[in-house]
Amino acid sequence: MNILQRIQPHAFPVEKVVIPDAISLRLNNGVPVYLIDAGTEDIMRLEFTFKAGQVNEYLPLLASTTNRMLSEGSQNYSSEELNRILDFHGAFLNLSAEKDRAGIVIFFLSKHIDKVLELSREILFRPVFSEPELNSLMKKRLRWYQVNREKVQNLAIDQFFESVFGRHHPYGHQLSESDFENINPAILKDFHAKYYTPDNMAVIISGKLHEKTFELLNYYFGDIKTQNIYTEESGNILKGEKKRKVHIDKPGSVQSAIRIGSTTINKRHPDYPGLKILDSVLGGYFGSRLMKNIREEKGYTYGISSAVSSLDLTGYKVISTDVGTNNCQKTLAEIYKEIHLLQSTPVEKEELTIVRNYMSGEMLRMFDGPFALAESFKSAWEFGLDNNYYFRLAEKIKTIDPDEITELAKTYYNIDDLYQVTVGEK
Amino acid sequence: MIKYRRFTLENGLRVLVHEDKSTPLVAMNILYNVGSKDEDPGMTGLAHLFEHLMFGGSVNIPDYDSPLQLVGGENNAFTNNDLTNYYLTIPSENIETGFWLESDRMLELDFSQKNLDNQKNVVIEEFNQRYLNQPYGDALLKLRPLAYKVHPYRWPTIGMDITHIENADLDNVKNFFFSHYAPNNAILTLSGNINFDLAFKLTQKWFGPIGKRKVQSRNLPEEPLQKEERIISIEKDVPSDALYKVWHIGPRMSTDFYTLDLITDLLAGGESGRLYTKLVREKKLFSEINAYISSDIEPGLITIQGKLMKDIDIQHAEEAVNEVINDLCDTSEIEYEVEKVKNKFESSTVFSNTSILNKAMNLAYCELLGNPDLINQEVDTYRKVSQERIIEAATKYFIPSNCSTLYYKSTRKDK
Repeated sequence: MNILQRIQPHAFPVEKVVIPDAISLRLNNGVPVYLIDAGTEDIMRLEFTFKAGQVNEYLPLLASTTNRMLSEGSQNYSSEELNRILDFHGAFLNLSAEKDRAGIVIFFLSKHIDKVLELSREILFRPVFSEPELNSLMKKRLRWYQVNREKVQNLAIDQFFESVFGRHHPYGHQLSESDFENINPAILKDFHAKYYTPDNMAVIISGKLHEKTFELLNYYFGDIKTQNIYTEESGNILKGEKKRKVHIDKPGSVQSAIRIGSTTINKRHPDYPGLKILDSVLGGYFGSRLMKNIREEKGYTYGISSAVSSLDLTGYKVISTDVGTNNCQKTLAEIYKEIHLLQSTPVEKEELTIVRNYMSGEMLRMFDGPFALAESFKSAWEFGLDNNYYFRLAEKIKTIDPDEITELAKTYYNIDDLYQVTVGEK
Repeated sequence: MIKYRRFTLENGLRVLVHEDKSTPLVAMNILYNVGSKDEDPGMTGLAHLFEHLMFGGSVNIPDYDSPLQLVGGENNAFTNNDLTNYYLTIPSENIETGFWLESDRMLELDFSQKNLDNQKNVVIEEFNQRYLNQPYGDALLKLRPLAYKVHPYRWPTIGMDITHIENADLDNVKNFFFSHYAPNNAILTLSGNINFDLAFKLTQKWFGPIGKRKVQSRNLPEEPLQKEERIISIEKDVPSDALYKVWHIGPRMSTDFYTLDLITDLLAGGESGRLYTKLVREKKLFSEINAYISSDIEPGLITIQGKLMKDIDIQHAEEAVNEVINDLCDTSEIEYEVEKVKNKFESSTVFSNTSILNKAMNLAYCELLGNPDLINQEVDTYRKVSQERIIEAATKYFIPSNCSTLYYKSTRKDK
């Protein structure tokens, strides 16, 4: 075929992302509700989110166990019944407890909204925390924990959080087997009473909404009252460990897991959008420098990436990869070399154009469809931000210049601040 | 209901287009009808290695990824026993770049020794990461050759032996390309913000000039009927014992497929599945247990796998699994349960088809199976499965002589 006929098509600038505003309402008891009407199918995503994450724990496992036990039996339904009825209605229930927040997300066909709301109320506000169910759950979780601790990836990230946030802070505490013995129904009930309250809750509902959607939410959740229970501010202080480099020996493993990073700014900081762009250049997409160097040129790994994440009290950045044991030291040297390069040499225009356009496409994907919209909404909202955060990010993607990236790399990737965790055969 | 229009180019490329104007994006999927089952037993893992090479540049484009990222696109690919599938999503105004990229690598790859050497290393690390450096990661590597003695499903997609990957050379790779990568051996689907006329025009322009190729004919050895139960036991330094059982079933398009799919959902669909309810919740024998049907096009497998709780005897656990299976034949109170899994299947299908990428992939897969309408028919077919069929299928397939079992035992004392 004639090569001349195969001319590269013109690259059109990626269209500006359109983000529909969420409608913000309040239930009779003041609970904020965010409605996002989107999509073409009669389906919904319903999220109840509470400030009930690990950060509120005074004992390890408290947040995640309280959350897991929500669907293990309520005043009116046994755990089996709850799960069976949800399955019968084709609903998918996801429980989650993260560092700052916990809650549930349910995906369902819109026609079943009544039943789903009724069951959600049972799950969230009428759990019984039965002792036999709890004992059996803790035994299972111990088993899962034991299997997970065989994986170098998990050993590495657990140690990374401990190193970066400190072993005494709930963000950084590493679990041990004995933690699984310290949980009983009374402390779960207490944690639930304190943190799973209307005052502490928000509802995000997206999909093809109905005029009655809000009315129904109000019917099921609008009259639940918060009982004011005194909650102490935890005295936990975020303070990274002294030791910057940790190696965990895992004899017999054919690969070593590497995690490198530190705390950093979070979404509330004006430099955050720029840091996101810097992170993309370094390791945030398939064409990133780390991927190109360590996978595509050297073949040391199946994958390497970097990420910047926001938490309520701080942010963190982390570079992650699993490499053949023999290449571990060489990979570490290359990672530091790439960071150093970003601090010393401005990014070429061509590379920056690719990053700009890739990220603009990513923004379209972040707001494509009712589920993506809800997730993106939440991840700004939980930091007290709104769509302006995304507009600022989009603007920064278009306008950032190479020198700004160099400056950001100097400010936020100080090599002396970084923690390095490796797990594998010595 | 997913509406689509279909056409075939003169060179044999089959194309399906589904318009969805609710998104600013288009998903483009190219499925090549070649998988690990088409490999020579002495050179396994080649189909998957080849998938990696497809990103190393083509005849007119030195690098696949950068031009796509430059127009806001994102892409990936996967290989399984039956097929190799490439996909991308891209802002609709730049869809032509997708055509340019995909047609160029169908036209011809830039076969470079450097890229081959490097991707061999990447695949070896992928093998290490997925199979060797995970507890129980090698279980399926042991199970396949136990269940299949002759059929190429006896090796996994990553390859039977990593030395096959190490030994692959440029000639192997070129031969593989020209005997399997061809417009007449591929299916192109587009889903999202693109209208049919534009899709038709761009397909003609970019894929039309690629000539038909002689595709290596498929002549797979038939797996002989298994006549007796097969059992192996291995011991490893893992936290707990694990049990794996597989049973042979028919091909993807056989009438029993949906019945068996429904049976695995009765057994393990969600937290209210029977295996979980009986063996995890009630009897506390397993910490986790799952059952699933392979969607292999050739005769496949049903798998049940579970990890045991502390101090549970593996034979005792296995008897309990068998009991749950035998109970499938007692359908006295099964009506609600069958309705439950049918509702869940319907809802899963609706959810899966909300994504333009899933729609593009599913359409291509149904076309490969010989009937693109399957994408709209499967819920009905699944709904029509009767209680009689469930009993018949359970009795026919879940027999010891059709089963292979792997006891994956822990060497630890305190297990």
